[in-house]
Amino acid sequence: MSEIDEIVGEFLVESYENLDAYDEDLLALERDPADREVIGSIFRTIHTVKGTSGFFGFNALESLAHVAENLLGRLRAGELDVTEEIASALLATGDAIRRMLGEIERTGEEGTEDVTALADQLGRLQADDPASGEAEAPAVDASAVADVDTSTPDDTSPADDDTGDDHGPRLGDLLVERGDVDAEDVSFAALEQDFGDPRRLGEILVDDGKASEEAVASAVEAQVDNGQRSVADTSIRVDVGLLDDLMNLVGELVLTRNQLVQLVSDDTEHELTGASQRLNLVTTELQEGVMKTRMQPIGNVWNKLPRVVRDLSLSCGKQVRLVMEGQETELDKTIIEAIKDPLTHLVRNAVDHGIELPEDRVAAGKSEEGQLVLRAFHEGGQVNIEIVDDGGGVDADRVRAKAVSSGIVTQDQATRLSDREAVNLIFSAGFSTSAEVTSVSGRGVGMDVVRTNIERIGGTVDVQTELGQGTSFKVKIPLTLAIVPALMVSSGDDRFAIPQLSLIELLRLDGDQAASAIELVHGVPVYRLRGRLLPIVDLSSQLGHERDRSGEAINIVVLHADGQSFGLIVDLIHDTEEIVVKPLGSHLKEATLFSGATILGDGRVALILDVLGIAQRARVVSESADRAMSTEVDEVATEHTERRTLLLVEVGDDRRAAIALADVQRLEEFRADAIEHAGGQEVVQYRDAILPLRRLGDLLGAGFVEPPEVLDVVVHRDEERSVGLVVGRILDIVEEDVDLDGGATGHGVFGSAVIQGRVTDVLDIQVLLGNDPGVM
Amino acid sequence: MNAIVIDDSRATQAILTRILEDLDYEVTCAGDGRQGLQVLDRTPGIELALVDWNMPVMNGLEFVRQVRADERFASLTIVMVTTEGDVGHMVEALDAGADEYAMKPFTAQVIREKLELVAAGT
Repeated sequence: MSEIDEIVGEFLVESYENLDAYDEDLLALERDPADREVIGSIFRTIHTVKGTSGFFGFNALESLAHVAENLLGRLRAGELDVTEEIASALLATGDAIRRMLGEIERTGEEGTEDVTALADQLGRLQADDPASGEAEAPAVDASAVADVDTSTPDDTSPADDDTGDDHGPRLGDLLVERGDVDAEDVSFAALEQDFGDPRRLGEILVDDGKASEEAVASAVEAQVDNGQRSVADTSIRVDVGLLDDLMNLVGELVLTRNQLVQLVSDDTEHELTGASQRLNLVTTELQEGVMKTRMQPIGNVWNKLPRVVRDLSLSCGKQVRLVMEGQETELDKTIIEAIKDPLTHLVRNAVDHGIELPEDRVAAGKSEEGQLVLRAFHEGGQVNIEIVDDGGGVDADRVRAKAVSSGIVTQDQATRLSDREAVNLIFSAGFSTSAEVTSVSGRGVGMDVVRTNIERIGGTVDVQTELGQGTSFKVKIPLTLAIVPALMVSSGDDRFAIPQLSLIELLRLDGDQAASAIELVHGVPVYRLRGRLLPIVDLSSQLGHERDRSGEAINIVVLHADGQSFGLIVDLIHDTEEIVVKPLGSHLKEATLFSGATILGDGRVALILDVLGIAQRARVVSESADRAMSTEVDEVATEHTERRTLLLVEVGDDRRAAIALADVQRLEEFRADAIEHAGGQEVVQYRDAILPLRRLGDLLGAGFVEPPEVLDVVVHRDEERSVGLVVGRILDIVEEDVDLDGGATGHGVFGSAVIQGRVTDVLDIQVLLGNDPGVM
Repeated sequence: MNAIVIDDSRATQAILTRILEDLDYEVTCAGDGRQGLQVLDRTPGIELALVDWNMPVMNGLEFVRQVRADERFASLTIVMVTTEGDVGHMVEALDAGADEYAMKPFTAQVIREKLELVAAGT
């Protein structure tokens, strides 16, 4: 049994591999129909699927491959030309085969997908005879294929496979040799087979209670190990999990090396110094070697893109030529996985929104066919990927207008932005790229998600555009995630690592300068850096240790996150170091300040700062990028706009919420000392009754805030209950076109909207209080 | 007894190997005609070759022609294995020097019968 599974497994792996090249080859064939080599490769892929699937009795798969092969045979013989329809049908065939293979992988059966329509189409296409009607031409269509299926002889009684013989590692012999069964039992079982028992030898032995299932399974496995040897084994397949383990071990080794080198540098023993230097060298080479084993060419991701571009440009009625440069550029497997979706999105976007319709291009004096260039290269220890189109470019003024109307920036801010900065607003959350949402730009996922995903792996993305000339996206990503260069800093007694990718520059303000250099604008500390306001975050206050820095020199690390720069005040700046990134345990997942941990040369643990997390926590950038991520998952969430009157309140730690005014009965202020406790609940005497109080911050999980002397309370009353919602501060009443971005961002929240330029949760009071038994 | 399976599909190699092992052959595999020739060159005593038709680098037909041009392999039994079922193909393979012709998919029994036919013919 397991041997068959193994061969089917081989069949699946092999077919998937061949199909990877299949789409690409078909597109190449469309461009150059005379390329013999390409058509040979396409033909072989289908041919192999057909030939092998017959052995397993995957008849539907075999017949589909068979009709496709007939069509390909005529193309190969030059009897037919590749038309768009033929290419599309063959691409669809590849997809159908993939689905059937997937079904086989999951269930062991080829499934019940009906591919007759496709098979008929293929049959019709190959029968379409252009003039030279050869009567003898293989007029095989889907119905004729049925003959092939039924002719599959089924006298492969699996029995003969295992009949004990005097040669080779037969199952029976193996079992006898291992002492698992008696020789007589095997002979008897073989005899039963000779008398027509269809069971396999192992099955008979197990059924008769002569051998245990485990013994048979293990013997079958041993039998396979003795199987065929293939020549020309220049490469081997290695489990990715094993490579991950190796990478971890090398990481540990690098740490130990760092410790040893540091210890030895304090020492004067020459021999030890020599040995540690060699260890240093070897470790570095080993690290590079192991990292190389995990490298894959970026072409592995790109080879899906020609198909995407073809299908998309056909459906938009555009002509796009895709040019790929630097396909062999290698990067870590985990990164390849992570950039797949963002890259695909950027490419789709370029075809959908970047490149113009043929007639518009001609009117603009360009060739009908647009060009989309993908370029990858290594530079400065990073991988650079560029996606360049020669389309219409992005109109900075339109982006400004859109950004203002979406509430991302104010009119005032928008006019002050340079064109380049304005164009980069397309990466903001809530910025929809096109007025009409087309089917192709996809699932309502914006460019903000592209940026969030790229930054999540420590990368950056930048856009440059020239109106009428085209747009270029530049993505920079690290080669690997496992070992990164980082700047070490201190806050108090603790050391922290800041990944160098986020680092822009270091500033030091001397004591007298420091006092006046940092100002407060709207309550936010900022520093004027070369005429621009740089928001300042103090690491120690983020860590919960307020520190008085008056009179001291101040060290600022300038970082970028989410397209925004900010300064992080630290106590001390140390050296840069290669650190090995260790993930944090799941119980620390909520600690948004840190992205991981590492072990330093002296053996101490240092936490790695999550630059984006700090920026969000300190509200230097909005958290909405993350929200957009969650709505991506929740695709069904509908977008609806409605004009509503809303009460704006501040909740807990500077978070904003909006309550429909219809849900508000009164606004009240209660002194903190008027609060009484009844049944473990906070209540207050109100209009000759007891009004239960609920802290909105607690309900929303926004964190506990020390209650002030006077509480702002929103009184809500409906048929069933009345309750006082304690809010941080009542801010305003606004009438807004609420454009809910949909998706339940939390229980009792309709969704979030941008109101007065801030992300605001719009509350669903009914749900929020829904099951609260304490509320009367 | 020794045999060689020449096929560019690893899955087919595994299947054919199993079938031949059921007929008590020791099996070596090769991925195309050229590799097949190399294996024959290095490994004396191979009596039977199951050869796929459609392969990259060197296809099965070319392999058969080259083997038949070499005196050393005069006693090698060659069975062409393919999915092309029409008579033209069959004749072409036999003309080139193949002894028999088997259409995928097949069982050990089919190969056994083919080999008996070959043995009876000589």
